[in-house]
Amino acid sequence: MLLLCSSFGSAEPGGNGDSIRDMQCGGACHGDASLNGTSTALMSLSSSEKIYAGIPTTITLSVSNIQSSETGLIGLFLLTDTTGHSDTPQDAGWEILSDSNGGSMNYIERTIPSGMNETSVSWVVRSSNMGTTLFYGSIHHGGESTPFFGINPEGLAVDVEAVPENLPRLSSDYIPPTVRTLGAETELNIQTQFTESVQIEWQVPGGTLVSVPVNSTGTDMWTATLPAALQPTTVQWRAVLQGEGPTQTTPWFTLASEEPGWEVEEFAVYTQSFALLFLIAGAVIALQSRLNTSFPENKYEQSQIVLPEQPVDEDGQIISASNSDESIAPLPEGGLPEGWNEDQWRWYGHEYLAGKYGGGE
Amino acid sequence: MISSATFHVISTELVVGAFSVSGLCFTLCLLVHFGLLKRTEWMDLFDNVAHFALVFGLAATPFAVLSGVSSSPGDGLSSPLLVNKMFLSMSGAGFAIGASLSRWRLGRRLWNSATATRIHCATGLAACGSMLLTASAGGTFARGESLLDVFRLPYEQVLLFPFAISVIGLILGITMVAMGLKRLNRASSIH
Repeated sequence: MLLLCSSFGSAEPGGNGDSIRDMQCGGACHGDASLNGTSTALMSLSSSEKIYAGIPTTITLSVSNIQSSETGLIGLFLLTDTTGHSDTPQDAGWEILSDSNGGSMNYIERTIPSGMNETSVSWVVRSSNMGTTLFYGSIHHGGESTPFFGINPEGLAVDVEAVPENLPRLSSDYIPPTVRTLGAETELNIQTQFTESVQIEWQVPGGTLVSVPVNSTGTDMWTATLPAALQPTTVQWRAVLQGEGPTQTTPWFTLASEEPGWEVEEFAVYTQSFALLFLIAGAVIALQSRLNTSFPENKYEQSQIVLPEQPVDEDGQIISASNSDESIAPLPEGGLPEGWNEDQWRWYGHEYLAGKYGGGE
Repeated sequence: MISSATFHVISTELVVGAFSVSGLCFTLCLLVHFGLLKRTEWMDLFDNVAHFALVFGLAATPFAVLSGVSSSPGDGLSSPLLVNKMFLSMSGAGFAIGASLSRWRLGRRLWNSATATRIHCATGLAACGSMLLTASAGGTFARGESLLDVFRLPYEQVLLFPFAISVIGLILGITMVAMGLKRLNRASSIH
């Protein structure tokens, strides 16, 4: 019965969350040829014509003809291989600086609204090595109780060229922020090379383009402030870099706004945890020790071996040889000797009869 | 070397497995006690397995807790779920310690009293239940879903006492454990 249940229960209709994942999603049913179905989704990848080493560029995955599950949840991959392992952009020497969901993952999930069957996602990536890399897009989704899988088999060849010497550009080790706290302004600190002036633009996806003032804080160091977000959402920003070489515009970097992180006084939590442990253990032990009024067994208890079974009277008292009627000496004709009581006679009567106490025969 | 997340998975599987077996045996002990299970000769078997599994699970619990804290994302306890996991696992450990020490010090005579038997089985089952709730909270935290989600448990709500109350509770708890053990030891030494 458990084996039967496993085939129904192993699906994860709620998704797995954005992450760095290989094409088979760590052995998920979507990647198992004996379990999955082929997705009808059509995918195409696109990127800029010129891509330079060390400069971020955008790779966009357009997906159409999606026939997903009722929830509309789909998972989209950016891959550099189709073997199912070691196939993430990182494995090919690429960095993911930003994704459409406001992270830096190669696998991102998206919910397709009812009535729509297409979407588009993008990744901002960067490589410090020259050469050609083949990128692939892939999709996982549910529907009709089947895990579906799809990939664009032709891929997209991306050629990385050496960067011209005087090209204005972001510093090769600059990492853009991807997450910010809700309700707080975001200060962008940007490092550049061969740049004389910087202009920062931002927009809510599909909204109006807004420019913000940029201040120089040193050689090739710039700062700009993005306004606070009032609700969890994403904004995109880019920099227009001017210098001796041709003016350059960076890709759109996505910045997600999140609720402030949940905080708690950890020492108080640990103290309360140990208080609960000792209080509960103490209560149980105290209760059991009160309930068990009889003495517990002792490992030195050997009385059953040492003492033979002895007869007991109606009251449970052991009838020993010394207090049975047969062992008590018969009373003299005159009754108890003068000054003796019954108890003394019980124990010493035989000795009296033997003449030890001046009486007897 | 393995990551703390992998070690957490290993240790929690040991804890949950051991406590589940223990809980099952405590349930069977209870069935024998109430006469619903007629095989009274199996009582010794259930008794031994329940307590062995309980102590084994208890031994694995600190590793699960420590690896869980070190493998949690962010800095330490960054979610109400993690705090509730901590409370539930420590409560479960408290029940398990109470049941184990009672059985150890009182021996088989613990089963002679009907009330003590019922309380002891209830304690063992409470330990098992607390650990299963902890595992459920872990599943909700890691995967967003758990088998016990049908009960809509309030994992997002944290009942955190003022620090002074926790300290008083801690001192009181340690005192209760010490006094309880002393009473149990005194009984055996008189004997």
